Amino acid sequence: MAESAISVKDVKIQYRMLNKMSLLKAIMNPKRFQKTEYFEAVKGVSFEVEKGKILGIVGRNGSGKSTLLRAIAGIFSPDEGSIDLHGHSISLLSIGVGFQTALTGRENIYLSGMLLGFDKAQIDEKLDEIIEFSELGKFIDRPVKTYSSGMYSKLAFSITAILETEIMLIDEVLSVGDAKFRKKSFDKMKSLIDNKDRTVIIVSHNSDTLKSLCDNILWIHDGEMKMLGTTEEVLPKYNEFMS
Amino acid sequence: MKRFNADVKRFWNYSTYNVKAELKSEVAGSFLSWLWWILDPLLYMLVYAFVAGVIFGASSKPYFMVFVFIGLNCWQFFNRVVRNSVKLVSNKKAIVTKVYIPKYMFVFEKIGTNGFKMLVSFVITAVFMIIYQVPLSWTMLWLLPLLLMLGLVAFAFSTIIMHFGVFVEDLLNIVTVGLQLVFYLSGVFYDLTDRLAHKYPTICDLLTYGNPVALIMTDIRNTLLYGGQPHFLALGIWMVVCLLISVVGVKIIYKYENSYVKII
Repeated sequence: MAESAISVKDVKIQYRMLNKMSLLKAIMNPKRFQKTEYFEAVKGVSFEVEKGKILGIVGRNGSGKSTLLRAIAGIFSPDEGSIDLHGHSISLLSIGVGFQTALTGRENIYLSGMLLGFDKAQIDEKLDEIIEFSELGKFIDRPVKTYSSGMYSKLAFSITAILETEIMLIDEVLSVGDAKFRKKSFDKMKSLIDNKDRTVIIVSHNSDTLKSLCDNILWIHDGEMKMLGTTEEVLPKYNEFMS
Repeated sequence: MKRFNADVKRFWNYSTYNVKAELKSEVAGSFLSWLWWILDPLLYMLVYAFVAGVIFGASSKPYFMVFVFIGLNCWQFFNRVVRNSVKLVSNKKAIVTKVYIPKYMFVFEKIGTNGFKMLVSFVITAVFMIIYQVPLSWTMLWLLPLLLMLGLVAFAFSTIIMHFGVFVEDLLNIVTVGLQLVFYLSGVFYDLTDRLAHKYPTICDLLTYGNPVALIMTDIRNTLLYGGQPHFLALGIWMVVCLLISVVGVKIIYKYENSYVKII
């Protein structure tokens, strides 16, 4: 039996419908403070992803895809149910997390890497590769605030792509920088995703991307599982539903 | 508790690196900006020593300038940590929405950056003490435990304030006024006992023992300048109270941090 990398069991995620409010308004209208409405973004979703497989998640805007992805990433915990990663390391691919622009590119590699859960020794090991991939050369020791937006994206992408985890969660496939670097970053993404030891979940609205990359597709509609199956089974039905 | 320990262990390296990074950012931000870590309390010391000593005639205390300086160091640390905690989660939106980090770690980071600045100021205090020829005493060794206690007090109040700061948009106004009140009632630039003990002993006790910042400030001055002992019983009670508040604060943060992402 294939080894499971991600087990999601009956996960429910609620948001308390609280908005920011002023103390003055609260004093004027204390009942508003007592009322707490709940919105259920994910309603009992269960699935397994085998190690090395690629799962795509589809659904229209507001269906709970990104919420589910962030719960799997551990950004917040589910209100009910469980998410088991079986001890695998995980990261939600997002670029430039925790950057401090007054610091150099090199220092931001450590800062961002540690925030993504890597220790100093692991970052040391990958440091040269990150710098080389980013094509920043001597700029790596200059403050990030002096970078152009393209240089910033290149560094941010390189950190995320080189500091690999066993499970990668991708909210839309990334490709950044100028035309040449965009191709390089897309190719890098593809090679990361295609790695047989890596388990990947991709949220995307792009059917072509999902068709070319994913083994299975999970279709979520209004927070509930509508369909789970192979890409060939689910994607045509989803496209038909959306058209 | 188990989760708290595991999370602190997991994120400790990042947070300590981030403290260093923030301090470095401040230094890199403007030419000689680090000098303001020293100049800031020094200039305030001159202002309050003038107001309290010359205008209100409260300078009869031995080593009055150092007395004021110690008060300001303690106060500025507490004030900065608590005040910053109000908008801490929304200021960290870029991180909070992309990776999981227990939000009380941000309070630890603020304690780290402001604690470092306070330690720099205490080095200046030591220089002042040498200049003013303050006699050496074993009681000076209480400084470190008392500073740790001040850190605990700041953590306890900041976790609660940070949580409510996510939901209440005008909390900063309330906290600013509240801190200003506590500042004037804590005896930062005057001695609570000298000014109040004879005329209003009950109020004096209330302000000294009922306010942990005033208590710690008084004890740091007593142990560093006057060879006195800390108020062990009152400190012990406040330690228990602050630990309980910290537990409540951490539990509230764990319970509600799911919602922070959607509100900020």
